[in-house]
Amino acid sequence: MSRAPRRPSLVRRLVWLAAGWSVAALLVTGVLLTTAFHQASLRRFDLGLADLNQGLLSGSMVSADGQVQAPQLTDSRALRAYSGRYWQIAEHAPGGRMRVLVRSRSLFDQDLAITREALTQVAATPGAPASYDVIGPLSQPLRAMAMQVTLPGRRAPVIMMAAEDRSPIDRESERFAFLTAAALVILGAGILAAVMIQVRVGLRPLFDLRREISEVRKGKTERVAGTYPVELEPLATELNALVTHNQEVVERQRTHVGNLAHALKTPLSVMLTEASQRPGPLSEVVTHQAELMRGQVDHHLRRARAAARSQSLGERTLVDPVLDELASTLERIFLPKAVEIDWRAPEDLCFRGERQDLLELAGNVIENAGQWCKGKVRVTAASVDGERFTLRVEDDGPGLPPERRGEVLKRGARLDESAPGSGLGLAIVDELARAYGGALALSDSPMGGLRVELTLPRAES
Amino acid sequence: MRILLVEDDPDLSRQLKQALSDAGYAVDHAADGEEAHYLGDAEPYDAIVLDLGLPKMDGATVLEKWRRDNVGTPVLILTARGAWSDKVAGFDAGADDYLTKPFHTEELLARLRALLRRSAGHASPNLEIGALRLDPRAARASIDGEPLRLTSLEYRLLHYLMMHEGRVISRTELVEHLYDQDFDRDSNTIEVFIGRLRKKIGPDRIETARGLGYRLVALPGEVAAS
Repeated sequence: MSRAPRRPSLVRRLVWLAAGWSVAALLVTGVLLTTAFHQASLRRFDLGLADLNQGLLSGSMVSADGQVQAPQLTDSRALRAYSGRYWQIAEHAPGGRMRVLVRSRSLFDQDLAITREALTQVAATPGAPASYDVIGPLSQPLRAMAMQVTLPGRRAPVIMMAAEDRSPIDRESERFAFLTAAALVILGAGILAAVMIQVRVGLRPLFDLRREISEVRKGKTERVAGTYPVELEPLATELNALVTHNQEVVERQRTHVGNLAHALKTPLSVMLTEASQRPGPLSEVVTHQAELMRGQVDHHLRRARAAARSQSLGERTLVDPVLDELASTLERIFLPKAVEIDWRAPEDLCFRGERQDLLELAGNVIENAGQWCKGKVRVTAASVDGERFTLRVEDDGPGLPPERRGEVLKRGARLDESAPGSGLGLAIVDELARAYGGALALSDSPMGGLRVELTLPRAES
Repeated sequence: MRILLVEDDPDLSRQLKQALSDAGYAVDHAADGEEAHYLGDAEPYDAIVLDLGLPKMDGATVLEKWRRDNVGTPVLILTARGAWSDKVAGFDAGADDYLTKPFHTEELLARLRALLRRSAGHASPNLEIGALRLDPRAARASIDGEPLRLTSLEYRLLHYLMMHEGRVISRTELVEHLYDQDFDRDSNTIEVFIGRLRKKIGPDRIETARGLGYRLVALPGEVAAS
């Protein structure tokens, strides 16, 4: 399986940019600091060597037979064997070599070596010192300084050489480099953390906006209400305009569909009435076909409503007033039968969806109960959790045997073919409830009749 | 029996007029909202069949105007709009019954007969307490002339309280008159219904006598007026 490509992230982009720049700057700083320190140490070290060379130069004598006399230097380190501080006076030998004339006691029985380059250099520029690195006795890393001079009383020039163990300044430099690196790493981590915080805090309005949009979608709020920085304000305004536009489109669609239904239904009424007044085979056909057309109109009306609904955002409807309206309306519809509808609902319970749809859902279920009851219908709404609530409708009618419950929910089925009204009843409700991600369940009611329980999405109040 | 038929479609009007005449009613016909409003106000009809989609003034507005003018004639609404929101709006406007197009003529006639029978039923006097008015014949209540939307249980409770105006009525007594004895009664039922009534008629019209029960009263300003 191939890994999904990582999607671009604003946070990542901002953090990477800032981090990349900071790390590069810190690296350069570290290298510069370390180099500068190292150079400074070496210069100071070389000053010491130059001093020694100077002492060597001023203390050396040439005897009458041309022998170089060692100067009387008091530096104890130059006396102790292999102390790490050495000097030597040599002269050029044929073949680019050198011959040692005098050396410090600290060198004991060893010669102080010179690199070929340094030897060439001192020969080329008499009087100017040349520094070089060399391995001394006991494998000591030495830094040496050589200078070619001509001593009075001696024709052949001599090479003054001073050397000292450089490991202390190497250690110093390493220590400095380590401390610098540690300090810069800590600084870098701090900068990175600050960048992350800055990006998070800076982008917080964006996250807020995302949360608000999600709440609009979930139906918790109807529009994006928060105040946003000038960069985001137009986006929030556009989003609100979009939500409003959406609601207008839904409304317009619904109006069109209603108009179409109205336009079709009156001619259908005329056909039905005309047919019923002139009985005969033709009238039967017309009546049957008109009924089919009515079913089609109703079906497509509902589909158009459902399509309009799936686009609508942020709708929420209080359950309490809807049940109140339906109860009084249905009691009027069933007035000859004196149906009593007793309903209960928490006052703050909200349906996540449109008022029209809750009216359809509850209206059809309660109407069905009203048709079958002996006189009493009980409606109870109760929340299940933060996301759902149930609407339970019970009646005291004959009920429905379990084996017939399945067929009630088949679309187009009608339990009571002779009952007035649109009558598709529970099948519509089942379809609509599913469209809302809800469910419809049938069971027996303790009141004797059928119990219809709808589970529907709840909006937090 | 005299019926006002309000319908703008000429074919449907002709058919319905014919069917109603055949059934023995005297029928007047109005083809637009303004004419209907005038006729309904002026003539003593026994019932009105009203289409909602009308030219000049829509049916719901006509109905609301009649009810505001205290025209109590039973009205059967005839409409293509069968959604529950439309039905609720129709009954809120003051309709007595509602028939969705397309319909069978027999069904219309049956509904009309039931409507006429109901309105001809036992007449009992209207109850009036301040701005609150209850018409037992139509099972309607209104406040300041605005119709109240009540369920039958709320209506029954209000009726009982109004019949015993000024008297404190205990919860037990109210429950007994609200429900048949075979129905389960939980203790806070009455509070629920008193709460809903207060929302609809105003909180001060029903007083709570702590530990005793409830009492319906007129508001202070209204006592002097009546």
